[in-house]
Amino acid sequence: MNKSMLITRPENDDMTLYLSIWSHQLIERAKRSGFEVFDLHRERANKKDVEGIIKSKEPLFLVFNGHGNETIITGHKAEPLIILGKNHNLLNSKIVFSISCRSAKELGKQSVDEHGAITFTGFEDDFVLLYDHTKISRPMSDDTAALFLQPPTEFTSSIIKGSTTGESFQKAKTLFKNNFIKALSGNSDTSELRFLWWDYVHFVSLGDQNARIN
Amino acid sequence: MKSDEYIKTLVLFRLETLSSNKSVSIGAYGSFKKQDLIDHVKKEDEIGKKIIDIELEFIRAMREGKFYE
Repeated sequence: MNKSMLITRPENDDMTLYLSIWSHQLIERAKRSGFEVFDLHRERANKKDVEGIIKSKEPLFLVFNGHGNETIITGHKAEPLIILGKNHNLLNSKIVFSISCRSAKELGKQSVDEHGAITFTGFEDDFVLLYDHTKISRPMSDDTAALFLQPPTEFTSSIIKGSTTGESFQKAKTLFKNNFIKALSGNSDTSELRFLWWDYVHFVSLGDQNARIN
Repeated sequence: MKSDEYIKTLVLFRLETLSSNKSVSIGAYGSFKKQDLIDHVKKEDEIGKKIIDIELEFIRAMREGKFYE
């Protein structure tokens, strides 16, 4: 298996900005771990570039930050990147992590069950991010957003370190739960709880849970 | 009070406790401040219904004791 990774980082609203900034550390970590990283930032998070890199460079690990729905993953300014029934075969033989709403529900499930994706990890309903809008210029110092972004970050980080998809997923899921318990019992604003629980419940991993990148 | 009206009232009450410096981004729907969320729930539009779904999921888990499983 090749040690390479494609990551999309659109930045056209608050959520994509947060996801993009939080991904910096993962890109650096992946490079330090010997990965070749194809970082599709802002306008480069488009369908043409995604298709071109997947076909020509064949990265094994695909990380999509953005939006979507049951059948689509989108990029910068909501351009559809992966569309069920059109180009979902690009996910064949890939370890896929999609932080985009609802894409695990049909696109992810069908990609794994019928079209040869190795794993598809993501959300089967809308991903919800609670954040402190007074910290929009400093997303990494936003403790509220951290509760929601640490778990997906942990998943990617763990895959980079060589853990299996199943191990990485369980670490991320446990971190969601721990953050929830922290918010429930600590000094955090308890209004966070319902949104954090929602993400915890709808975070899923499909496919071969023993798959890893060596 | 009918159960759906009760739930809507409960959701509005919960939203009142949200800090004024917090925003909620709900996928492709966009980002919403406290008063935006309250307005959507009152209108019972698609976003309002999503907020109610989130609250119901939370209440269900609380009732079934899932938090500490």
